[in-house]
Parts: sequence; C-alpha cells; structure tokens
Amino acid sequence: MALALAKAVTVLVLATFGIALLVRLLPGDPAETLLPYGTPAEHEVLRRELGLDRNIFVYYLRWLGDFVRGDFGYFYNAGGSESTKVTTLVGNVLPRSALIMLYTMILSLLISIPVGVSLAYKADSKYDKFTSNFLFAVSAVPNFVIALVLMYLLAVKFQIFPAIGYTPMSDGLFEHLKSVFLPVASLSIGLVATQTRLLRTDMIATLKEDFVTMASSKGLTDRFILWRHAFRPSSFTLMTSAALNMGALIGGAVIIEAIFALDGFGLLLVSSINSRQYLAIQSLVALVTVFYVLFNAIVDIFYAVVDPRVRSHRGAA
Amino acid sequence: MAPRKSVGFYLSSGWLALVLLISAIGDNLPLPAYNDYDFDNAGAGLFSGKHILGTDIDGTDTLSAIIHGTRLSILISFSCVAVAMLLGGALGIVAAYFRGRVDSIITMYFNVTLSIPNLVLTFAMVAVLSTATPSDPNGRIPRVLVLIISLTFALIPILGRLSRSSALSWTGREFVQVAESIGMKRRHIMWNHIVPNVVPSMMSVGFLAAGVVIVIEGGLAILGVGTDPGQSWGSLLAKNRPQINDYPLTVILPAIAVALTVMALNFFGDYFRKRIDNRESRI
Repeated sequence: MALALAKAVTVLVLATFGIALLVRLLPGDPAETLLPYGTPAEHEVLRRELGLDRNIFVYYLRWLGDFVRGDFGYFYNAGGSESTKVTTLVGNVLPRSALIMLYTMILSLLISIPVGVSLAYKADSKYDKFTSNFLFAVSAVPNFVIALVLMYLLAVKFQIFPAIGYTPMSDGLFEHLKSVFLPVASLSIGLVATQTRLLRTDMIATLKEDFVTMASSKGLTDRFILWRHAFRPSSFTLMTSAALNMGALIGGAVIIEAIFALDGFGLLLVSSINSRQYLAIQSLVALVTVFYVLFNAIVDIFYAVVDPRVRSHRGAA
Repeated sequence: MAPRKSVGFYLSSGWLALVLLISAIGDNLPLPAYNDYDFDNAGAGLFSGKHILGTDIDGTDTLSAIIHGTRLSILISFSCVAVAMLLGGALGIVAAYFRGRVDSIITMYFNVTLSIPNLVLTFAMVAVLSTATPSDPNGRIPRVLVLIISLTFALIPILGRLSRSSALSWTGREFVQVAESIGMKRRHIMWNHIVPNVVPSMMSVGFLAAGVVIVIEGGLAILGVGTDPGQSWGSLLAKNRPQINDYPLTVILPAIAVALTVMALNFFGDYFRKRIDNRESRI
C-alpha cells in the first residue's frame, strides 16, 4: 500500500515537472502574451509573480508549494482586466465535466452489463455473432464521428435535443438532462461497445468453470447462476476499464466538449495552453493526473473488495 | 491454423487497398480539382452532375476533397506509427530484458506520459513546437512535422508498454536461458531471440495505433491545431463543421472516411492478434 502510494506520488511529481518543462519551452514571452498592453515594469512584476525570473527548479517548487495549499494561480486576461483565480474557473467547469463523466459511466454500464451477460449466455449463437461483430465495428468509430452524426440527426434534422450548450441542473432537471444527452450518448456508444466485449469474454471463461457446472447440477436457474455466481468474478476487466475511462474522461473529453460547446474541464485546459496561462496549465494538468492516479488506486481497492483472494495476494492484473 | 477469412477480412483489405491507392495517385484522378471553387454549383447534393458526392459552401467537390485529404492522413498516421514502434518497441524490449532499475525508469516514463490524456499532451506539444509568433507566422518547423513529432511522442509509451509486456513473456523462456548460459552476448540475445518474437504482436498493435493517430489528428483539427484547413480528413471535417446545419454531407462524409479506415485498421489488428494467439497455442 505504501509502495503504491509512493509510486502514485512519483508519477504525479514527474508528470507535473514534465509539464513545467514543456510550459517553460512554450515559444514567445509570456509576460507580453498575458499582458499585451502592460508597461515593461508591469511585465517585470508579472514575470516575478509567475516565477519566470528563476530557474526551472525554483519555479516548479514554488508552484508545487502553492498547489498543495490549494492556490492554483491566476488566469490572466489579455484585455488587462482583473485576472481570475484558477480555482474559481475549476469550480465552474468541474461539476459539469464530472456530471457528464458520471452519466456516461452509468449509461454505458447500464447497457453493457446486461448485453454482455446475455451475449456470453448465448455464446456463438447467431445473435451473439451478429451483435459481437456489430459492437466490434462500433468500437472503432471515433467519438467525434458519432458526435457529429448524432448532432446532425437528433439536433439539426429532428430537433429533439439542443445542438450546443449546457443547462445546469438548477434550471430544471429535464432541460439539464436534455442538454447533456448528446454528449453523453456520443461518449457512451464507444464505451458500450468495448465494455460489452470485455464482459462477454470474461463471462464466457467463467461459465466454463467447475463451480458453474456445480451450481447448475444443483438445479439452480440459469438466471440465478448468471447473476449471482458468474457475474462477480467476471467483472474485473470491465470494472478496471470503466474506472480508468472515468479518469480519462475528466480531461480527455475535450473534443466532445468542443463540438457541443460545453466549456468543460478539457476545454479550459486547452484554452489555457492556447493563451499561455503558465500556472493554470500546470495546475490543471496536475488535477487531471491526480484524477488518473486516483482512479487507478480505486481500481486496486475495488479488486480487493470484489475478490477477497486479492487482499492477500495481488494477481497479475 | 489461421482463422478462416471472413467477409470482414475482404471488406477491410479492400478498403485499405483503396485508401492506399488513392493516397498514391489521388490527385491524378479525372475529378474536379480539390481546390477548384465551382461557385455555380456551391452546396450541391449527392450525384449532382460532375460532383458525385456534392460540393461544399464554396463549391469545392467533396469527393476530391476527401481524396486529397487521404494522402496526408495516411502519411501522418503511418510515419508516427513507424517511428513510435521503433522507439517504443526498443524501450519496451530493453526494459523487459534488463529488468531492475532500467525497467523501473522506463516504466515510470511510460506511466508518467500515460497519466496525461494523449490529446492534451499532443496539444501541448504542438503548442511548444509551433513557433507561430506575429513576426514569424509559419514557425520554424513545418506544420506536418510538428504534428508527426507530437503524435509520435504520445504514441511511444502506448506502444512501449505493449512491447514490454510482450517481451516479458519471452525473456524467461528456456531458449533465452540457454543462450545466456552458453555466454551469448546480451545484445545478440535481444536481437536474435526476443525481437523476432515481439515483432509480430507489435505489428498487430501497429494497425490499432495507426487508427488512434488518425483519430487524434482529427481531434486536434477540431480544436484548431491540425494540418492546414482541408489538407487531411480531420482538418477537412473541422473546416466544414460550422456548415453542418446547411451542408451536413461535407462534414459527415469525411467523418465516415475516418470511421471506415479506423474500422479496417482495427479489424486487421484483431486479425493478426488472433493469428499470433493461434501460433502460440500450437507451440
């Protein structure tokens, strides 16, 4: 456990240091980009504030010190107006990104679990072959392609859902769900395809085990065996992939956010890279990495809960 | 025994062969030029006169535009995969063979890079490499090269980790132990005994990776940092995206080209993986 924690912290530190290196390599003078109408004296103050007058190590340690205390730095406005705290921006975008991630996970698991189990139950039947091949093909379709097609069909041609924008839950649950449906569907379809296939493969292997034969010779119903005996030991790969995808979705759903104009976490990160917001880039990437490492850790703990054998001996995952 | 060739196999190889052929001779086909603005027929639908797949808002032929974009999409995708396979593959094999500290360092590098979403990472790399300042709008490095370097950088840990795990299943085998016990040089063992066994599984992953690159390139284009507008599939659909309400085909058709190609590449990756699994199970 301590070793795992040490490893996770090392990944965090190295990833953020790597980003610090990248950020320092960004072309152009940051002070002039961030304050195009500032005087040389103001530029000098800003450079000192960002830590750019010092070497990379001092710069990094100063940022790290601020970051762990919850000070994520500022997002500077080119117009010279008040700069915004990165924490405020994160507070704005994180709830919607997290909600979209959560909905995506729920929707994709709600579909892939029953479908995966039924495919394994009917393994090698015509139904299984057709569905599996279909899902294989779907899993190859990039999510922006799905997003564009769905947007055209459901928002432009039949105007059922709004094409762009996000409605918060406080403006009505129905409107909220309507506004997130298309992005969530675009992200889910690909996940359903992969997750169903993962579950099917594992489930087929489990159904060949002796304890399943045993259970069925005791006269238990197929339904009971599938859900009570076979599902749990078959769900590892599925749960791993689901958890890792959750970590990846926080910062990785950028394209979907861009297509549906959602202003989520990913787009905030991209726009801070675009406008050379040194400290914001650092802090946002650090947050993404924290999520990634966190979900990896959750997978490990989850294993131990679902399969008691893992508690003493961690199998090859 | 190799798995029986399915309909999917013929469809995939047919489509990939077509794509390769088009990227070789595309601009010489008897079609309207991709940069020919036929304003009289702007926004034409399917099968309208000489524009088989219609035109966009400027009257550019959609089929020609897709065909023109093929070359760059394929070029970027294949060159990234080739370089990343060499570098990532080598790192993975070295890590698996030497174990210990070398392995820890290389694996840590993979994990650190993988902890940042690959689209964000490539986006940051593109920002660093392209020095588009007001005084020098084109930057030092050509756009395509910037993209190839950035995408390769994101691809190396993905392929490297797979090469490492594949190599790990070989480094403990008897023939490697025998080679070590007779005093064979480590370099020779890696080159003669491990590399030939890792290459097939890397090839099958290479097809998947080629698809991944096409997808990320499309994503970068949607974010506005892809190739120049209309030069690749991704940037073509990104260019036409604002017109999705009025001219949906100009967006959907390049998207379908992307989807079909990625599908075919994934199919091949899967096909070769099955063949390798079969070969393994015979031993």
